[in-house]
Amino acid sequence: MHPYDYCKPTSLGEAFQHLTSPGKVVAVVAGATDLIPRVRDGVFHPDLVVDVKGLPRLRDLTVQAGTGSLFVGAAIRMNELARSELVRSHWSVLADAAASMGNEQVRNRATIGGNICTASPAADTAPALYVLEGLVQIAGPGGERQLPVADFITGPRKTALRLGEIVIGLVLPRPPDGTVGAFEKLSRRQAGDLSIVSVAALAIPEAARPSWRLALGAVSPTPLRAAESEAILAGDLSDEAIDRAAAAAYGCCCPISDIRAGQEYRQAMVINLTRRVVRAIISRMPADPPCC
Amino acid sequence: MLHEISLTVNGDHHAIVVRSHHTLLQVLREQLGITSPKRGCENGECGACTVLLDGLPVNSCLVLAPEADGAIIETTEGLSAGGELHPLQEAFIQHNAVQCGFCTPGMLMSSKALLDRNPHPTEDEIREALVGNLCRCTGYVRIIEAIQDVAGRGEEG
Repeated sequence: MHPYDYCKPTSLGEAFQHLTSPGKVVAVVAGATDLIPRVRDGVFHPDLVVDVKGLPRLRDLTVQAGTGSLFVGAAIRMNELARSELVRSHWSVLADAAASMGNEQVRNRATIGGNICTASPAADTAPALYVLEGLVQIAGPGGERQLPVADFITGPRKTALRLGEIVIGLVLPRPPDGTVGAFEKLSRRQAGDLSIVSVAALAIPEAARPSWRLALGAVSPTPLRAAESEAILAGDLSDEAIDRAAAAAYGCCCPISDIRAGQEYRQAMVINLTRRVVRAIISRMPADPPCC
Repeated sequence: MLHEISLTVNGDHHAIVVRSHHTLLQVLREQLGITSPKRGCENGECGACTVLLDGLPVNSCLVLAPEADGAIIETTEGLSAGGELHPLQEAFIQHNAVQCGFCTPGMLMSSKALLDRNPHPTEDEIREALVGNLCRCTGYVRIIEAIQDVAGRGEEG
């Protein structure tokens, strides 16, 4: 394997110094499940690998006082999300997405920060984070900032991070009580594979009818919110409306053909998975209050 | 770059110097002479290098050597440390769950981690826990039967 240096800073100041080392290709690493194969395959040649697992807050998984939002440190691992009662309590769509990824060994190493910073179009936590309208907490030499996840991921392996910045974690607002979520993915095997298509959705109770959030993964350069589908579902949950919402989801994606699936198959499966997710949520929605 | 790390492998403490760009798998096999973790795909797909790191199964080919500082590592060598085979090892033999043997140490460590976490798993839970361990010989059926045998034997798993 291409030789590189390794360091594990314990303060942000120390990390920023390493990240801005002049003339060096610097890689941030948390779970290393993406980095090591890329270095070994010879497609990436870092000079320095900065392990962020020793930084403050990156291993936190807590509800923030006041707002009730969930803070998920960037170095929280997939199995920690999948098996957390706290995450399951109000953010279960994220736990379900995390549980669907890789295999047991990979889920014990791979982190949520790594998943969004790698910014693969097939990142399974991304559609869940899109419907939860998560915010990325970013720290850099100039201070901290927050960015919606949907603005953070800008393309395949591209993010809005600037030189010297790292992701501290994600802030996930607590959905209103009664919110129902679901995550579905299609892959070549039932487990241990990347997504051909993934769909996450939330139905949020409102005064009249629930509002909907629907996000698609692996069918465009970045994950997508299917706004037209959301609007259709907010107005009508008949079988005919679900079909229209699924067709609208088909209309907003632009998948590629690759080793996992062809473009047309992916598009067709967007329709199926959207229907499946919407129906799964409807079946679990609280019954209407008795009419008076 | 060299790093001084200390780690515990199968109960033995080691203070060693590792290279930045080496993996835990290389440290175990090449520096410590612990060869049950196998070098397979080196991509996190095959699970032949599975070890327990602080009690959890991981692919040792995807752990950077310096990351193992302070870790408690368990490998198949440690399963029979007292001279007697672990119940899982006995069951793998009884059920003919081994053919070429290359995947076996990884299978054993994933199985042990499963039974530590869930002493009485269903067949689906066993299959799910072994998704990251590929076997090209047995067809998995006998491996699953061996684990079910141990899981059915009582509380200690």
